[in-house]
Amino acid sequence: MLQLARAAETPTAPPVAPEGWQPRIVALVCNWCTYAGADMAGTTRRSYPASVRPVRAPCTGRIDPLLIIKAFEQGADAVLVSGCHPGDCHYVQGNLVARRRFTALRALMEFLGVDGRRLHFAWVSASEGVKWSQLVEEVTAAVREAGPFQDWGRRADSRRPAVSLPAVAPAPRSTPSTAEQQGVAEHLQRLAATLLDEGRAAVVIGYAAGSLPGQMVPTFVTRPEDAGTLAWSDGCVNNLAVYLPRAQREWGKAAVVVKRCDARAAVGLLQEGQVRRENVVLVGVSCPGVLEHGRLALKCYPCDGEVASHCDFTVTPEGARPGVARSAATREVAADPRDALVAHLESLAPADRWGYWQDQFARCLRCYGCRAVCPLCYCAVCVAETNRPQWVPTRIDGQGNLVWNLTRALHLVGRCGGCDECARVCPADVRLDLLNHRLRLEVETRFGYRAGEDPAAAPPMVTFRPDDPQEFIR
Amino acid sequence: MARTAWRLTQGELLEWLEHLLREGRRIVAPVEEDGLRLFRAVHAATQVCLAPGKTRWSPKEFLFPRTETLFTYSADGGEVRLADAVGPETEQVLFGVRPCDAAGLCRLDAVFHGETADGLYARRRELTTVASLACDEAEPECFCTAVGGSPAGVDGSDLQLVAVGEGWIVRPLTRKGEALTASLRGRAPVPAPEDWAQAEERARRVAERIRQRPIAREWAAVLEASFGLPLWEALGRRCLGCSICTYVCPSCSCFDVQDSGNAWCGERCRSWDSCTFALFTRHASGHDPRPTQAARYRQRVLHKFAYFPLANDGQTMCVGCGRCVALCPVGMNVHESVQRVAAAARESVDARG
Repeated sequence: MLQLARAAETPTAPPVAPEGWQPRIVALVCNWCTYAGADMAGTTRRSYPASVRPVRAPCTGRIDPLLIIKAFEQGADAVLVSGCHPGDCHYVQGNLVARRRFTALRALMEFLGVDGRRLHFAWVSASEGVKWSQLVEEVTAAVREAGPFQDWGRRADSRRPAVSLPAVAPAPRSTPSTAEQQGVAEHLQRLAATLLDEGRAAVVIGYAAGSLPGQMVPTFVTRPEDAGTLAWSDGCVNNLAVYLPRAQREWGKAAVVVKRCDARAAVGLLQEGQVRRENVVLVGVSCPGVLEHGRLALKCYPCDGEVASHCDFTVTPEGARPGVARSAATREVAADPRDALVAHLESLAPADRWGYWQDQFARCLRCYGCRAVCPLCYCAVCVAETNRPQWVPTRIDGQGNLVWNLTRALHLVGRCGGCDECARVCPADVRLDLLNHRLRLEVETRFGYRAGEDPAAAPPMVTFRPDDPQEFIR
Repeated sequence: MARTAWRLTQGELLEWLEHLLREGRRIVAPVEEDGLRLFRAVHAATQVCLAPGKTRWSPKEFLFPRTETLFTYSADGGEVRLADAVGPETEQVLFGVRPCDAAGLCRLDAVFHGETADGLYARRRELTTVASLACDEAEPECFCTAVGGSPAGVDGSDLQLVAVGEGWIVRPLTRKGEALTASLRGRAPVPAPEDWAQAEERARRVAERIRQRPIAREWAAVLEASFGLPLWEALGRRCLGCSICTYVCPSCSCFDVQDSGNAWCGERCRSWDSCTFALFTRHASGHDPRPTQAARYRQRVLHKFAYFPLANDGQTMCVGCGRCVALCPVGMNVHESVQRVAAAARESVDARG
């Protein structure tokens, strides 16, 4: 059923199950194993609660996490996903790839504060009618206990105090002197002029002084004589890799100035075939860190700023050299403050975490600034703009915004290199950096993968290992 | 009739706000939330933040909501029933609105309240009283004085608050403003001449600090003629096509209408939309009259500074709040763009003789 807008200006108490309420559980099951298993439960006369609405998919590999989100958006109290046991997949490996996606979705839902009793995963084979009926009984009991899911897209209890994040530790270093920055700028200018002159690039994408005090903005230099407009300072916040696919279309060969964090995105674009290596010249700048709101950006705390390993040139205050080289600088680093912020949120009660994120998403204007600045959000048509079906509700409210933010975060799992541009530009200060960071930690710890390091590596969400952890799957 | 004004201390201002809240009015004012300042319906006067600076985005959503249901439908046994959206019913006070934002509401009026009034907007407007707050600081992105505004402008305000010393001058400007300040009559003193002098001096000082070159009314025609200039391509090149500029803007008013629902029930609603989005003008056939981001950027600038003024006595649609300048991910500056385009357009006219 369609749920019309739920107003949330007046304080609301946590929902109470209405009399006679029956859980609505959407079961997304694969055709070959679990659907047959459910059939088996029927033919062997096993009874189980009628609370599940099975939806048959060809394979768990075809169960996009968006379907699970859609089920919640449409009013499901819980979702159960089930398919063939590992090794039994009709399509050999569909369930193994799916397992990674479910891992990410589950981590995200848990981080948002969704009650764990609302999302269940299982492997049920065609012969396991008994397992299926027991599973449905257990899941139904859990959902009964959790009650109706009425707070999708809003705070469960608006009387609970708003959660605020702890203060971040002081920055481990200050950014360098103007003279040093000027040195980098001069070497960049000379290198850019040479690249354009020798025809190694038709455009150099770099930074130029903006119109506000201390502001740096992206610029496109196409003539050697204009290279003097290139600048460098601790205000060079933009990730210029975002322009690479467009530059390749427009100019063919493009040189782009990248900080270490930006280079991860460039590697992602190469890895995913969005730009050809021969069309890109990566000009790595040894970066002492950038300032956001007058302080060192959080992503810079753990980063020594040395250029990334795939750069074609290294620019330091001392000069510009081909290849990758270390700078003369020694930069103090510190623990990633995003780790502590994520840990803090994880230490809260799920209901408070849910409240925190719903407050954040309620502010979201759906300007899609996060999408626009993300080098890896390169789709010609974003899922948010498809309307058959309408994956992301166009309503700019708690529900629509929740779906959009879940979708954005999920699409960047295993791909986001952590440049935090999305969070920097968000006019509503939604902590997208923390969502991405939490998922990055998940991918690192469970799949041993760090995004943006190896252009030849398979992205983690389109591959699998037979022994991927699956303790959350029954 | 000359309208009086009242001199309130900070405490009296809060008391007055509490009084208005007790009367059952919805008061929408700047509050600090999670480190950013936003307009919110408040439940206590102490929440209100009247410190220098502006909110992250304009208060337009309280007249032109981000998303608004126009009607709902339901189908039962073959019979389809339509129901108009429940319109706004509560009186609201937009309190502490900066003069640029109040002026922005006048621009929205021109769009929604023109020849054909938009019912939902009109009703909400009728129920709204705007209490503006004269600026005591100018931020680097501010350029209201360049587009005919002022840090103490009263366009779109029903009453204005001006900080003087430790207190405030509360100055009703319209009948709605008088009604809102009715409880002050006979209780608060009128401002002394030196209070007014201080207020004027401050407005002058803030205006001086905004050193942005003016955008003359006559430029509208020049800008309209700039449509084919190659400069637009260079100006729009770095635009990434988000809609931050339009969504934080006090005067941008574009929306998209969409039906959603199923066989039994559903709704038609309108939600904010933006000319900066690639999908905005794309036809069903796939043809797009504004196929590049530069063309979309040109549309935004020309709508503000050429098309709208040409249809509205020369008044720019832009009110110079500068939010689009401050918040653009890639540092696009609409004021600077207009200056450059106007110069280039004049040059090309001169060159043609």
